Amino acid sequence: MTASEPKPIFTARGLTKRFRGLTALSAVSFTQNEGEILGLIGPNGAGKTTLVSLISGTLSPTEGEIEFEGQRIDGLKSYRRAHLGIGRTFQVMKPFPGLSVLENVAIGALFGTGRGERSRVRARERARACLDFTGLNHRADQRADALGGPDRKRLELAKALAMQPKFLLLDEVMAGLNPVEVEEVIALIMKIRANGVSILVIEHVMKAIRRLSDRLFVLHHGEKIAEGKPDEVLNDPRVVEAYLGRRRR
Amino acid sequence: MELFSQIIVNGILLGGLYGLMALGMGLVWGVLNIVNLAHGALIMFGAYALYYLFSGLGLDPFVGLPLAMLILFCFGYLLQRGLLNLIVRSALLNTLLITFGLDAVFAHVAQLAFSADFRTINPTYAGNNFQFFGLTIPLARLAAFGVALLLAVLLWLFLGHTRTGRAIRATAQNLTAARLYGVNPRAMYALTFGIGAALAGAAGGLYGIVSQFTPYIGASLTAKSFVIAILGGLDKPLGVIGGGLVLGVAEALTALYLGPTYTDVISFGLLVLILVSRPASVFERA
Amino acid sequence: MKIRIIFIVVVVLALLAGVPWYGSASIVQFGIDALLTATLAQGWNLIGGYAGYPSFGNSVFYGLGTYGTAIAMAQFGLPFWAGLVVGGILAVLCALLLGIPILRLRGPYFAIATLGLAAAMGAVIANLGIAGRNNGLILPLFRGDALFYELALGLLALTTLMIYLVSESRFGAGLIAIRENEDAAAVMGVNTTLYKVMALALSGFVSALAGGIHAYWITFIDPGSAFDATLNVKMVIMAVFGGPGTVLGPIIGAFLLSAISEVLAAKISTVAGLFFGGVIVLAVVFMPKGLIDVGYGVRRLGLSYFVQNIRQNRL
Repeated sequence: MTASEPKPIFTARGLTKRFRGLTALSAVSFTQNEGEILGLIGPNGAGKTTLVSLISGTLSPTEGEIEFEGQRIDGLKSYRRAHLGIGRTFQVMKPFPGLSVLENVAIGALFGTGRGERSRVRARERARACLDFTGLNHRADQRADALGGPDRKRLELAKALAMQPKFLLLDEVMAGLNPVEVEEVIALIMKIRANGVSILVIEHVMKAIRRLSDRLFVLHHGEKIAEGKPDEVLNDPRVVEAYLGRRRR
Repeated sequence: MELFSQIIVNGILLGGLYGLMALGMGLVWGVLNIVNLAHGALIMFGAYALYYLFSGLGLDPFVGLPLAMLILFCFGYLLQRGLLNLIVRSALLNTLLITFGLDAVFAHVAQLAFSADFRTINPTYAGNNFQFFGLTIPLARLAAFGVALLLAVLLWLFLGHTRTGRAIRATAQNLTAARLYGVNPRAMYALTFGIGAALAGAAGGLYGIVSQFTPYIGASLTAKSFVIAILGGLDKPLGVIGGGLVLGVAEALTALYLGPTYTDVISFGLLVLILVSRPASVFERA
Repeated sequence: MKIRIIFIVVVVLALLAGVPWYGSASIVQFGIDALLTATLAQGWNLIGGYAGYPSFGNSVFYGLGTYGTAIAMAQFGLPFWAGLVVGGILAVLCALLLGIPILRLRGPYFAIATLGLAAAMGAVIANLGIAGRNNGLILPLFRGDALFYELALGLLALTTLMIYLVSESRFGAGLIAIRENEDAAAVMGVNTTLYKVMALALSGFVSALAGGIHAYWITFIDPGSAFDATLNVKMVIMAVFGGPGTVLGPIIGAFLLSAISEVLAAKISTVAGLFFGGVIVLAVVFMPKGLIDVGYGVRRLGLSYFVQNIRQNRL
């Protein structure tokens, strides 16, 4: 947390993604420092989720390179990136619907960073700990598809945590939550960071991200238009225009 | 060279009928997301429906064809409303299984009702040919080809240019959105399945005019329809007819150059190759 | 608890193993068929039930096992066990080679590609000289239904043991994760390609062994019977009827359906086919998750379990 000497854990250089002629992301570069909470905002369709998918390996970039802990990873498949310590949640939540909440989380423990736990018993123990952490323990034995919205968000978080990632990508984990629930999630994210995890938070909820992030950057039409301290960025005229312009439409 | 052109012509004429067979399957697949393994059995029912209209009521096959289609439409509509609707949101495997089960039921019911004897629909002009630039064109096959094209164009116009057709396509794209616009998906599904069955009925009737049939032709026709529906892009009628032509010609050429035992290798090899080589995104909707 | 289960398993196995001594010849023959079909259903269970990839082409592996064994024995004079090895290797190679491109396809496209493969493979064999083309091959005659019965039983028992071990392992958890949501599984660290290919290869291997045993037992094979497309649907139906993705479901499904169709086929074959189709239709409507799930569900919900199933799947 000490800002004395920021050490980069993750670097993206000139990331570009085109889908059949449509440019979703163009030449985006950024650096994530170790132990830092980096915020990413932008209007709908700005390319935020595309960026997360490029980092986690769900999509591969048209151009550009990414580096994790000093190693090029843009050629690696997503499971290898998971083994290295990159975890993500999905904005469109993707639980394993037919499995219990506990089993969902145990998958993360079995396969995550460093290829996970070998034994299913220990993976289940780790999963229990993650459910405790996210406050889902009372629903451990229910089927994942029986959970309501807020609990699904918690499940996404618990699944990613069970992987014991070094770098955690949170894709809109606060969308659709009420203010009380948002507060709970903010506290959770702070607690995760306190354990030394570097976190990239993608969010729509401005107030939350202003409080959470050490730094912030903004995507608009697939391009990075601003970067810096949260307060500076949120007052940047280009950022205001990007959001207001959208509102006017 | 003459042999070659003749083979190509035969392949094209047969291919049109193949395309018609696949039309209904592709439509149901594209809209309801059900791969109907009983589609071939519906084709078989179409053949028997026309057979009895022809031999029982003495109707000319091409006059009886719309009636056969109507019978199959009602059957398909009720089948979807009464049974398939119960499982339409079930896992893919289950929809495959239930339609396979139906295929078995239909084939055996047909055997009990119609016997296993070979039948053909045999109007007086069935054997007529005419010569065209040195090529022999069988009249019945040409007529069947024409009907197949006509129905494909009608379906294309219906889907693209009528209110109901657009509602069907909307239902295929997005159930919830369609509901918001006041479309009743249950009715659309039944209607679509009915149309699919009617098209199968037409294909069956024409099949009965150009070839022999038994209660057991269903399975292999399902497989062919399957290949063609994919080749042609499911609920794109003109594409499906194109797919039928490709398969018809490919089969004819294989039979000529490699021998008839290789036709299955070619058609199924073609299928696997197309599936594997096309990126998954082409099939995003399914 | 654990000791009790082991005890039950041993008793059931002993009872089954004793059938050749106290059962009639026709029961033994029915048993061989049922055991081998159950092995196929169980093999399918791995790729279809656990990994969630609905293969309709496992007859390819069965056929390769059949032909591998037959070619080794009839054309090269090798002993039976060597034939089984040849068949097993052929099936595993085929699963590795074809699995990588085909397992990239999802849902219906995978199902169809496998169906197409099954048809194409049968046709290829029918044109191969070493495989006797359309005429098929005749294997050395060996009379001993009891031996074949015990072999089939052993194969089924080992296959089931393997399924059990997989279901308890990290590998099994990975397969289930792939079935439930492949994208999520991949970002959580499951090597999806490797796992799917391994599941297909294992599935293919046991299917090939079943094919090899069947070939030697029946002594005559041809492309039509070895690559019988209805076999695909049969094994899928049995596994799904019993409960896909469970250790015992596919066996229960296979035994029940084999017995039913045996009884009916003895009467009128048309009615048997009709009944079989009807059973499938009703099973899909009322118990889409298989017999095993019916057991749990009815205990929990009573008869409303069936209503709930319909409500979940209708529009």
